Amino acid sequence: MSARYRVRWTKEGRTRFVSARDQSSIWERAIRRSDLPIAYSEGFTPHARVSFPDALPVGVASTGEYAELTFAAPIRADDALARLSATLPEGMDILTYTEVPAGAPKLASLLRATLWELVWPPVDATALTTLLEQRCDTLLAATMHEVVRHRHDGDRTLDVRPAVVSLAVATGPTPDGSGARTTLRAVLHNDAPTIRPADLLVALGDGDVAPPALVRRVAQGVPTDGGVAEALTGVVESVRDDIVVEAA
Amino acid sequence: MLGALSAVRADALLPGREARAAHRSGLGAPTPPSVLEHLEPLLPEVRKPAQYVGGEHNMVTRDWAGADVRWLLCYPDTYEVGQPNQGIQILYEILNGRPTTLAERAYAPWLDLEERMRERGIPTFSLEHHLPLWAFDVFAVTLPHELGHTNLLNLLDLGGVPHRSADRDLADPVVLVGGHAAFNPEPLAPFIDAAVMGDGEEVVLQIDDVMRTAKHDGIDRAALLRALADVEGVYVPSLYEPRYIEDGRLSRTVPVAAGISTLVPKRTVQDLEQWPYPQRQIVPMTETVHERFSVEIFRGCTRGCRFCQAGMITRPVRERRPETVQRLVEEGVKDTGFEEVGLLSLSSADHSAIAPIARSLGDTYEGTVTSLSLPSTRVDAFNVTLSNELTRNGRRSGLTFAPEAGSERMRAVINKMVSEEDLLRTAEVAFSQGWRHIKLYFMVGLPTETDDDVLAIADLGIAVYRIARAHGKANKVTLSVGGFVPKPHTPFQWAAQDTPEEINRKLGLIRQRIRTHDGIRVRTNDPEEGVIEGLLARGDRRVADAVERAWRLGARFDGWHEVPTLHLWRQAMAETGVSLDWYSQRERDEDEALPWDHLDSGLEKGWLWEDWQDARTAVQLDDCRWSPCYDCGVCPGLDLVHDTGYQPGALLPVVATPPADLGGASGADLPTSAERYAATTTSVPEVAR
Repeated sequence: MSARYRVRWTKEGRTRFVSARDQSSIWERAIRRSDLPIAYSEGFTPHARVSFPDALPVGVASTGEYAELTFAAPIRADDALARLSATLPEGMDILTYTEVPAGAPKLASLLRATLWELVWPPVDATALTTLLEQRCDTLLAATMHEVVRHRHDGDRTLDVRPAVVSLAVATGPTPDGSGARTTLRAVLHNDAPTIRPADLLVALGDGDVAPPALVRRVAQGVPTDGGVAEALTGVVESVRDDIVVEAA
Repeated sequence: MLGALSAVRADALLPGREARAAHRSGLGAPTPPSVLEHLEPLLPEVRKPAQYVGGEHNMVTRDWAGADVRWLLCYPDTYEVGQPNQGIQILYEILNGRPTTLAERAYAPWLDLEERMRERGIPTFSLEHHLPLWAFDVFAVTLPHELGHTNLLNLLDLGGVPHRSADRDLADPVVLVGGHAAFNPEPLAPFIDAAVMGDGEEVVLQIDDVMRTAKHDGIDRAALLRALADVEGVYVPSLYEPRYIEDGRLSRTVPVAAGISTLVPKRTVQDLEQWPYPQRQIVPMTETVHERFSVEIFRGCTRGCRFCQAGMITRPVRERRPETVQRLVEEGVKDTGFEEVGLLSLSSADHSAIAPIARSLGDTYEGTVTSLSLPSTRVDAFNVTLSNELTRNGRRSGLTFAPEAGSERMRAVINKMVSEEDLLRTAEVAFSQGWRHIKLYFMVGLPTETDDDVLAIADLGIAVYRIARAHGKANKVTLSVGGFVPKPHTPFQWAAQDTPEEINRKLGLIRQRIRTHDGIRVRTNDPEEGVIEGLLARGDRRVADAVERAWRLGARFDGWHEVPTLHLWRQAMAETGVSLDWYSQRERDEDEALPWDHLDSGLEKGWLWEDWQDARTAVQLDDCRWSPCYDCGVCPGLDLVHDTGYQPGALLPVVATPPADLGGASGADLPTSAERYAATTTSVPEVAR
């Protein structure tokens, strides 16, 4: 009797520097430490059946990571997944879970859009917010906006516009309340070609905006008017509403 | 550009020396500034950034103000290489087990990060709280080999600490080195404050006590170094001076302070059972060279391989009890979640109870995904049986054996007692039982070696390959061949080292001979790496100038292919008048003083010389665990002989009576281990409580 669960989890703090490749062994070991009856793949080197739908660029924080776990025996999910959450390294926490009924659509198919958040250092906040607002308006008004992505295997030209669902810029206080900083939130379609925050920055930055201090994948799910309906709960995460109080 | 932080250097991270003092006081000292905020923006730009963030399972985070002695433990290479090191993990656990001692860890930043750290003034930092090196009381660096020496200097400099001992004062950490390469620390003498010889478990607590008292009493730095020198096993190079004779050879190294011992003995932990560490092993968040739960099943080795420094300087053999091994493994696998268990020692199949240990662990983990490994070098069929036991879950991929030399004569010279017949029989057993790949380790450049001896390596490889093919077309044989580097405290310490050109020529002979056998892989190290290793292994204090110069010229990560440094070393040697020929390619006489003569590994120099003479005439010497004592010199003075169960029928340690008259280790009337353990059960060390 196997049981499948989907979880939404975070990759915050130090753990945002963990690569997608290292992530799997971190989860496997945490599952073993929690003594959960995870299922293993067949074969020469069996692996715990934990899968991650997509990789997050190294250095990017997230409250919108997902995983699917298959257990070889039934578990008491609330207790077991809370234990796993506590066992994962600090910064990796399980936020919610759902049991997966037979015949459920693939997890990846539920993750159609991403709400991204880019936070700048507390410098030039008012001017930067104004500038980014203008650029966002221009981008949203355009039908296409090509950028060049530089990679070790060559340059690639991409149109970022089709991926953009919504954009919002705001000035808010820093967490310690001592200053003001600019925050940009963007809902981007996940469909190929995948547009990442780095591509969006090229489109909006135009060479005169410094890189943000932190990029975060806030949540993934179905794009809605003004945000993303989170994949597991359906709760809408807004592109605009909570920018000012984001510091919490 | 909008939104950009101005590119100021992080000056608060490297304050003036006066400003440092407050952070270094005792209990209640303010925590020094963390580098994390300055480091994080750099991490997305560098290779493998997770190595710099810490946060691993079993990391210990203690409050700065709650400690009065603070250690930074360091392996002077990348995290990937250094993190699995057992020595650091043992000391980390022991020191953090004390109520008011704090120990954090540091590794060398790779070149990409170092460059950015230097641009911004970010010092060498710890992983736990990202605190700067300069704030710690002790910077304790393990030197498992010689190729971390330039990294040590670099880490000090990057950490805002003067790299020369003479330029440091009480505002700076005490710089300690330990590990195998610390048995000849002379090429580092001007840079370190002390070298610790031998097992670290006990001495590290005594040093911690000295530091605590010194800080409390506010003694000056000279008095502190003097107090450290009074701890057995601690060598303070500034209290000794080398004297040279006219032809440049060493006359002797003498103490230059009153009351300082002429010989510094190594430390030996007599009962490993009292030090069952590391238990709470770090589980890395990024790839390292060994990701497994490791248990040291015994320490020391008396096989007597004449090239092997580890086997010589870690004598005598001290075993862990089988039930302790079982307990450590079971608890460790549960605690860490590691999928692999390593049973470590210098020759793991030699544990007197290895068969029951393997059987018991095999039973425990049969049908699970936990795999067991026995890093083994012993060449016999028993080893295959053991490996079968440990791989019941079905992973019979490869076995590794180390015949070390190709001809019978050469193996007699190095005292590696393996016959060709043994090896071929072992290969036959292994391949017939389903193993698919055998890897054989060899060395070239050994003393008295001829081209015939070198070619015998290829011939042995071909013979094993024939057996491999007879059992399956896909079976493989790998020959791994390295250049021999003579090491201090071994019978080969007097030998000449081959030049890299000569090593290359010999490797060419092997490749030539096997070129018609496509299925044999040959793996070789770059012979040039042995040049720096050889110079530093047997160098004296005059070599320190070359170390410093090479580092100034940019040498670091000397053991990495990606970082070619030999040309910098050659330039450094030329500029400082250090002759590679003289240090490395010259055979020494019996009466020549050696730079490590005042550092006592326990081995009698006279015995080493005799063994060197035996080597040259290909006379072999038995393992003293199961043959009479030959008086190498180690056991007298210790209240144990070999802590093993080699007596018939016994699986528990055998102990000698504390000796008044131990002229040799043979034939004593021994108390049973049960008596001994009854006597020691109450003396659990402080950290174990």
